[in-house]
Amino acid sequence: MSEDSQRNFRSVYYEKVGFRGVEEKKSLEILLKDDRLDIEKLCTFSQRFPLPSMYRALVWKVLLGILPPHHESHAQVMTYRKDQYSDILHALKVVRFISDTTPQVEVYLRMYQLECGKLPRSPSFPLEPDDEVFLAIAKAMEEMVEDSVDCYWIIRCFVGQLNTKHRDSLPQLPKAFEQYLNVEDSRLLSHLKTCSAMSRLPYDLWFKRCFAGCLPESSLQRVWDKVVSGSCKILVFVAVEILLTFKIKVMALNSAEKITKFLENIPQDSSDAIVSKAIDLWHKHCGTPVHSA
Amino acid sequence: MAQPAIGELLSMLDSPTLGVRDDVTAIFKESLSSDRSPMLVNTLVDYYLETNSQPALHILTTLQEPHDKHLLDKINEYVGKAATRLSILLLLGHVVRLQPSWKHKLSQAPLLPSLLKCLKVDTDVIVLTTGVLVLITMLPMIPQSGKQHLLDFFDIFGRLSSWCLKKPGHVTEIYLVHLHASVYALFHRLYGMYPCNFVSFLRSHYSMKENLETFEEVVKPMMEHVRIHPELVTGSKDHELDPRRWKRLETHDVVIECAKISLDPTEASYEDGYSVSHQLSARFPHRPADITTSPYVDTQNSYGSTTSAPYSASRLMLFSTPGQLPQNLSSPSTRLLTEPLQATLWSPSMICGMTTPPTSPGNVPPDLLHPYSKVFGTAGGKGTPLGTPATSPPPVPLCHPDDCVHNSVSQAIATPPRKEERTDLARPCLHRQHHLPNDRGLEELPGNKGSVTLSDLPGFLGDLASEEDSIEKDKEEAAISKELSEITTSEADPVVPRGGFDSPFYRDSLPGSQRKTHSATSGTQGSSVNPEPLHSSLDKRGPDTPKQAFTPIDPPSGGADASSAGDRDRQTSLETSILTPSPCKIPLQRGVGFGSGQPPPYDHLFEVALPKTARHFVSKKTQELLKKVKGSPEEDYVPSTSPMEVLDRLIQQGADAHSKELSKLSLPSKSVDWTHFGGSPPSDEIRTLRDQLLLLHNQLLYERFKRQQHALRNRRLLRKVIRAAALEEHNAAMKDQLKLQEKDIQMWKVSLQKEQARYSQLQEQRDTMVTQLHSQIKQLQHDREEFYNQSQELQTKLEDCRSMITELRLELKKANNKVCHTELLLSQVSQKLSNSESVQQQMEFLNRQLLVLGEVNELYLEQLQNKHSDTTKEVEMMKTAYRKELEKNRSHLLQQNQRLDTSQKRILELESLLAKKDHLLLEQKKYLEDVKSQASGQLLASESRYEAQRKITQVFELEILDLYGRLEKDGLLRKVEGEKAEAAAAVAEDRLDCCNDGCSDSLVGHNDEASGHNGEAKTPKAYSSTRSSCGGRGAGGGNSSSELSTPEKPPNQRFSSRWETTIGEPSTSIPTTVGSLPSSKSFLGMKARELFRNKSESQCDEDGLTISSLSETLKTELGKDLGVEAKIPLNLDGPHPSPPNPDSVGQLRIMDYNEAHHEHS
Repeated sequence: MSEDSQRNFRSVYYEKVGFRGVEEKKSLEILLKDDRLDIEKLCTFSQRFPLPSMYRALVWKVLLGILPPHHESHAQVMTYRKDQYSDILHALKVVRFISDTTPQVEVYLRMYQLECGKLPRSPSFPLEPDDEVFLAIAKAMEEMVEDSVDCYWIIRCFVGQLNTKHRDSLPQLPKAFEQYLNVEDSRLLSHLKTCSAMSRLPYDLWFKRCFAGCLPESSLQRVWDKVVSGSCKILVFVAVEILLTFKIKVMALNSAEKITKFLENIPQDSSDAIVSKAIDLWHKHCGTPVHSA
Repeated sequence: MAQPAIGELLSMLDSPTLGVRDDVTAIFKESLSSDRSPMLVNTLVDYYLETNSQPALHILTTLQEPHDKHLLDKINEYVGKAATRLSILLLLGHVVRLQPSWKHKLSQAPLLPSLLKCLKVDTDVIVLTTGVLVLITMLPMIPQSGKQHLLDFFDIFGRLSSWCLKKPGHVTEIYLVHLHASVYALFHRLYGMYPCNFVSFLRSHYSMKENLETFEEVVKPMMEHVRIHPELVTGSKDHELDPRRWKRLETHDVVIECAKISLDPTEASYEDGYSVSHQLSARFPHRPADITTSPYVDTQNSYGSTTSAPYSASRLMLFSTPGQLPQNLSSPSTRLLTEPLQATLWSPSMICGMTTPPTSPGNVPPDLLHPYSKVFGTAGGKGTPLGTPATSPPPVPLCHPDDCVHNSVSQAIATPPRKEERTDLARPCLHRQHHLPNDRGLEELPGNKGSVTLSDLPGFLGDLASEEDSIEKDKEEAAISKELSEITTSEADPVVPRGGFDSPFYRDSLPGSQRKTHSATSGTQGSSVNPEPLHSSLDKRGPDTPKQAFTPIDPPSGGADASSAGDRDRQTSLETSILTPSPCKIPLQRGVGFGSGQPPPYDHLFEVALPKTARHFVSKKTQELLKKVKGSPEEDYVPSTSPMEVLDRLIQQGADAHSKELSKLSLPSKSVDWTHFGGSPPSDEIRTLRDQLLLLHNQLLYERFKRQQHALRNRRLLRKVIRAAALEEHNAAMKDQLKLQEKDIQMWKVSLQKEQARYSQLQEQRDTMVTQLHSQIKQLQHDREEFYNQSQELQTKLEDCRSMITELRLELKKANNKVCHTELLLSQVSQKLSNSESVQQQMEFLNRQLLVLGEVNELYLEQLQNKHSDTTKEVEMMKTAYRKELEKNRSHLLQQNQRLDTSQKRILELESLLAKKDHLLLEQKKYLEDVKSQASGQLLASESRYEAQRKITQVFELEILDLYGRLEKDGLLRKVEGEKAEAAAAVAEDRLDCCNDGCSDSLVGHNDEASGHNGEAKTPKAYSSTRSSCGGRGAGGGNSSSELSTPEKPPNQRFSSRWETTIGEPSTSIPTTVGSLPSSKSFLGMKARELFRNKSESQCDEDGLTISSLSETLKTELGKDLGVEAKIPLNLDGPHPSPPNPDSVGQLRIMDYNEAHHEHS
């Protein structure tokens, strides 16, 4: 009740009139004020509303488990994280895996490899597909998060989450995608099927890389808000929405190669709208996540 | 066609051969139809004027449309010339009378004004008369267009009427008669056509003094012969000139219209009655003859018997002997004859000299068609007060012979008295009236269907004779028979003149006048001017005819035929002739008859019937007439007589005279004759006569024209009548049908009634059946109810019985129960009895005991009284003791209670405390949880860090090993150099052998202990630092210790890892470098050596057990030292992890030593 009283009484009307996110910042602040952060609430919040960019890093860190729920230990834990980062960085430098000239993304990759014990014998060894995924995500994340320690940690945990938490659900996404596309636009689906493009759609780009490199970071972070908060289904709807948005162009294309090529390099200008629509679509199909608290 | 050809043709026109004449006529007509030039017409007119040729006239009168104008122009041209005026007017008259198709053009033609002008200015009477006649003929043809000349007409009338009186110049009286007649006709025509205008003209014209005389003398008498024109009442001056009025009327209609308003029987027309009577005769040619017998007989007989007047006789004679007519031409009696023949215009009122409108016989004939009853009603209604009702009876029998004969008879009988009662005057009228239809009927029958009716006549007359008996008186019969006998003698006479009459008729060009003259010649003794003999002859002849009629056997068939033929001739000739006597003459004639001193048998009746004045009037007229007839009929005429009449008379007289002259002189020297009349000078006698002839011819033609008009009208009316009759027939048929249908309906009704009756009967039967069945049902129901009741009763009885049975059963049970009960009771009672017996025994026993006990009690009482005093002291002692004890207990209780209170309070306090503690504990727990989670979070972070460190270390190790690998490769190359230092190395090895052993052991043990201890007690930081510092060594040490602790194990298995493959060789290869290190740490080395020595000793002796015990002892001794000791190396290692090479080398060396040691051992 105290939370509600602190909230602006106009919030209800703001939402009704269509101003979204006016009150979200405040409510998020309220959430973050809790000493022991309620992770579930934060999850629900980030699923329902877009996160304000100033709190995004914090929330992500909390959600990804980089920071503990207690404020007290934040500083200490953060120093640990920093130490760890610097240690690994140092070690890598020592073993001369990286140098000062090594791109930051590769640094992150090597660090991650090191932490996973997968560091190859030599930096010149060819990268594995998983490493490519990591690189893409890291590249996107690098744009989003300024601090490199935070960035590394977030990337690390994000990828870790994808590999652990969503390991089982990710392979199911193409099927779900087909299903929702059928619901939304069966003609398009049939067109894709006739072009036999369904199997050749850029699923890796969409679901493994979580659209990293496909969408601009400004809109991508909104998608990742949802992914971080535990829902990888949003990826399906983003994919569906991309197809719906570029339906005319896709319909005009007849060969699977062209379609795939087009989808891999979609125009960036309408990405914001795509994401907004995709979120709406997601809410529509999966229901708005209820504040469980 | 050339002129001469025309001339030739014209001459051929009058050729005696009929064929040539016809051919020429045809040629003319053809050329007329082809040629439109006026030349031929002009030539024809000229020719006609020259020769007076009949064929030319015929051609001219039948001219067709385009030539009319030429003709009219030509006529107009000739009218202007005085010389040809008369002949051209005659031609015009001929043309007009034939009513050419272009007659309507007459009004527009210039001829009309010129004709009028001529009439206004001409002074020749003949021309005037002819012109006036032509004008009169034309007037009905151009009624509406003549209106612009209306004043001209009136002027002409005024001029000519004055002429009649003034006689300007030396006009012969004879001409004036003609002129007067034509003026009279003009008067009629103008009055009939334009009454209002004409009357106003008369009013204005004769209001002038100079014309007053003319009015008195000429016009006023004329006005006596017309009745009031209805237009005078309803119409106006403008209305009668309205063309719309005339549009509906044809020429003959106009003529009849004019005739209608005339009272002059010669002019007047009662066309309705007339036509119908015609129709009647046409439709029922036979029947009327037979049927009408009875009334005829009745009237005839009554007439004949009562009067037997020559009048009636002559009338009867009419149908039988028309041929005798010429005989009586000069006599008034003939006029009686002709009058009915003429137009049945005879009226009793005229007889009486009354000017009332004539009773319309026209009303009667339509009634003839109707059944008697109807006729009777209508007749009464239609009849004028003067006696028309009386006229109705005769027609009645026509339709219903049998019934109506008597009816009519009775009617005939009944009506006369009625009339007598009314007026004396009416009586003769009535008789006349009766007579009138008879005459007419009989007349017309011969007239139209003469041959048939005449042949029937004898039979009809015979019937008359047969029936007369019932009505007539004997006296009358005798008179008739006498008359009959008389007539037979003179019967030959009629036959002879008939033959004579016929022949001259055909010979004459002017039939009317010629015939008269011939008839006059063939006439009998009545040639004298004196009427007396005429009357006598008439009286004689009168009976003649009835005789002939009454005896059908007598007249020969030829005679009958002849008479019929003659009748026909007479009919035609007389009707067209100018001999149209006015009815006014009749009384005169009669008067003559009276005056002749031969009073007829009905004379006395007249005496009674006619009033004095009438009689006086009649006698006076007779005188006048006599005088006139004797002397100069042309010199004066009674104003009341019509000009026609006068003219008529003139002609007759002229004819008589002429015939007389002819009989006297074989040659026609008429001048002699006319001198007898004292008229004009003998010099122009012939011319006068010729003119007169001409005039007469004109008049005749005019009358013929009128007759034609009448005929035309008759035909039309006949058609109407036929149609009406057809409708009538149709009506009758419909009525018959209706009757049949009514009969049918009746039949149906009857059958319906029958059916209804049958139906009602059936209904009744059914009803009775139903009621019967109902009653049966009721009875049965009743029975059923009774049975039902009975059964119910029985059932109730049954139930009663059942209940009784149950009751009885119950009773039985009860009784049984009672029996059982009583048995039980009985047993009980018996038991009780036994019990009571036993109780009695016991009682006895107890009584005995009681007695014993009583005795004992007494005994004890005695004992008790003895012992009572000892017990009281003891009891008191005990009581006090008890009290004390009680008090003591009470205080104790109080104490206990207090204690309880306090303890309870304490319990409460403690409980609250406990709760607080619990809460605290909870909070603590929570906090602990919190802290735990916090710590776990931190721990996780640090663990991850640790993991990272491990990985780092691994990487490092990897790197190191890698580097080692590389170094070894380099070392192989430098082996030679290495052999030099081999000796020194061996010494060092020996020296350090045991030392390394011990040291390594102690180190392992120490590390184990330290790790175990530090994990619990040391701060994380310290721990982590130690860990991190010891990690490097621990890794190595771990391996070595495990190797040490399990020396039995084959060492090769341990070192199968990749580490060993790379590390194994170098460790053995560098013992020297390791050995140098402990020397720097002398104290440690010393200690380690000791430890290791001990250890190795104990190891040899007691195996693992000694080691553990040793470590325990060490723990206690070196607890603090170790902490210090540990810190030192930590300080050395911790901050400088990067240069661990010497340390690690040392370790490796130790390990290497161990290995070597193991290999050795």
